[in-house]
Amino acid sequence: MLEIKDLKVSVEGKQILKGLNLTVKKGEVHAIMGPNGSGKSTLASVIAGKEDYTVDGGSITFNGKDMLELSPDERAKEGMFLAFQYPVEIPGVSTINFLKTAISEIRQYRGLPPMEAKDFLKVLKEKQKVVEIEANLTGRSVNEGFSGGEKKRNEIFQMAMLEPSLAILDETDSGLDIDALRIVATGVNKLRTKENAFVVITHYQRLLEYIVPDFVHVLYQGRIVKSGTRELALELEGKGYDWIKKEFSELAV
Amino acid sequence: MELVTAKTNISRGVLGEAEIIKNKSLLNKWIDEAGTHLTETGNFAKGVQKKAEENFAAIGLPTKRTEDFKYTNIRSYLQDDYAAKNGSASLTESEIENVLIDDFVSVVLINGKYIPEYSRLKNLPKEVTIKSLFKALEEGNEVAIKQFNSGLEKTTNPMAMLNTALAGDGIFISIPENFSCPIPVHIANICTGEAKNFYNPRHLVYLHKNSELTLIESYHSVNHTGKTFTNSATEFIIEDTASLENYILQDEDILSQRNDVRHFTVNTGSRMNSVAISLNGGMLRNDPTIFINGENAEVHLNGLFIVKENCHTDNHTMVEHRAPNCMSNELYKGIIGDNATGVFNGKILVYRDAQKTNAYQSNKNILMGDKSTINTKPQLEIYADDVRCTHGTTTGKLNEEALFYMRSRGLNEKLAKNILLQSFAKEVSNTIKNEAFRTLIEQKIEENIQ
Ligand SMILES: Nc1ncnc2c1ncn2[C@@H]1O[C@H](COP(=O)(O)OP(=O)(O)OP(=O)(O)O)[C@@H](O)[C@H]1O
Ligand SMILES: [Mg+2]
Repeated sequence: MLEIKDLKVSVEGKQILKGLNLTVKKGEVHAIMGPNGSGKSTLASVIAGKEDYTVDGGSITFNGKDMLELSPDERAKEGMFLAFQYPVEIPGVSTINFLKTAISEIRQYRGLPPMEAKDFLKVLKEKQKVVEIEANLTGRSVNEGFSGGEKKRNEIFQMAMLEPSLAILDETDSGLDIDALRIVATGVNKLRTKENAFVVITHYQRLLEYIVPDFVHVLYQGRIVKSGTRELALELEGKGYDWIKKEFSELAV
Repeated sequence: MELVTAKTNISRGVLGEAEIIKNKSLLNKWIDEAGTHLTETGNFAKGVQKKAEENFAAIGLPTKRTEDFKYTNIRSYLQDDYAAKNGSASLTESEIENVLIDDFVSVVLINGKYIPEYSRLKNLPKEVTIKSLFKALEEGNEVAIKQFNSGLEKTTNPMAMLNTALAGDGIFISIPENFSCPIPVHIANICTGEAKNFYNPRHLVYLHKNSELTLIESYHSVNHTGKTFTNSATEFIIEDTASLENYILQDEDILSQRNDVRHFTVNTGSRMNSVAISLNGGMLRNDPTIFINGENAEVHLNGLFIVKENCHTDNHTMVEHRAPNCMSNELYKGIIGDNATGVFNGKILVYRDAQKTNAYQSNKNILMGDKSTINTKPQLEIYADDVRCTHGTTTGKLNEEALFYMRSRGLNEKLAKNILLQSFAKEVSNTIKNEAFRTLIEQKIEENIQ
């Protein structure tokens, strides 16, 4: 489904991703961990098509298509979704209208007929239930004045509405209280099918108890330096990143 | 009072005798060309105009050295060879039809001149007076005679003086005491004519005590064949506990150059809400002055300006708190694209006696292009000690983070930009209370941010 090969990315002349490889197949959940500043959000942004970054080399293909050729909206229309680490507030734009527009744009791209108003409302109610988000939040302007946790929950709600085939969740668990964490994770699990895939960026093994990953990767200094199963996350939780850093610097020498 | 007189003296002191003579001869040329000196209306008007002529000659046309016109050099738009003209029924009824709005009483002005044949006053309550201003003056209408120039004579705006000196016949509206006009009055202003025509329409709107009016003005161009200059002036007098809603849509072509002087006199317990939506026009200067003269008055002044291509829109506002316990709230938002320039120069003046004043002013701008310019200059001048005044101005590009966020959810760049701009504009259009007109404005805004 997603294939990233030897991806090199820089911003303002500074190289951040230094030859990154990652393959995600449908039905899989991948977790990406790694110390602060290692390049996790950069990776997520580049996959989603953020233009501030320069791709110096490598490729990103999604369902066989070259994503680097597509604009961010086209990538979304192809079935990608990024839950932002820092969701943006958009005053004056209602969440409902925003989603209505997004869904209609995506459907049009895929050659589907517009969604009827009553069907939209039905889906809206259904998904609100799945992620247990209050209607008063979705009735407001996108993220405006939301608490940190509410913003994260709104990301998952939008994901549920847009039904992407690949969702990248960038630290969606940070800032969530224990209940919200469980709700978000349950939401993700309910949305999980054989046909879609998730890339979950997190610092905490706790989320991975709820959303059980098939693979865990460690991103360090712009590269995936270690991959394993969920036991790797447990090991990191216990030992921290020092041993990885050490191993890596030995490798680098 | 003191402050105003001081300013007058400074601006008058600048010119020498030779320049004053030059100004006089230019003015005389325009008076001859216009040919409608208010002579018929008797000694009263003659006196008012004579005084305005002298005042104007002493100041002359504003240049970029004139502080209040720093960003709009009138001299560069209005040259000596412009010929003063008066409005007339120079278009056919079918040519103007599509600017009328069915739901409202429609008053048609062509270059400021009232054209009764084209107007639709069928649904106008008989209590309301709408007629030619000159006619009202000639007929000896006491309100018209008493109020004509009553507001503008207290200002030192040379363009207002020029308008008074050259006054072309405009509209007079009067709402009687305790009467609430149930239907909005829509004035459809049509600008037409050939290159170098210069118009000076003059209007007067009077709200008696405890009356109410929604006055909608729209500005259009029809059969406009060359650059014209319109210097219009409107006086509004809002008596005690009366209420005015005043909505303005400026949607002319790029040949249009317009200086729009407004003077509002706001008395005890009254309220006004003015919303100016400036969408199209080659050069546009909005110059409203509000005198809050009585206690417990409430003033709302809102503006949205979208400027494109090489166009120029200047909003120069003055809110004078001359009485205690009043509030004013001002919001101007600009979207400036291409090589266009926008200006916001808003001043709040609080007199020593105007204690317990609440005055707010906010200006927000979005620059769309690398060559788009905004000049913003908020000014507060406060002589009372017990007041609450705030002002703020922000200018920036469209929020890139928000754009990317929206695009990552499947909205293309153009659509995402449009939605952001529309929501930016909505804060202003939402202050229009009349739903039918607000809907029309929202459509117009949408068309203009494509
Ligand atoms: N626009 C930018 N301009 C300059 N530097 C940037 C920019 N974006 C990212 N960086 C730098 O790139 C590096 C990687 O940042 P990134 O946000 O990808 O890290 P991260 O792994 O997501 O960290 P965290 O765990 O703290 O979220 C950091 O050193 C960061 O400062
Ligand atoms: Mg990050």
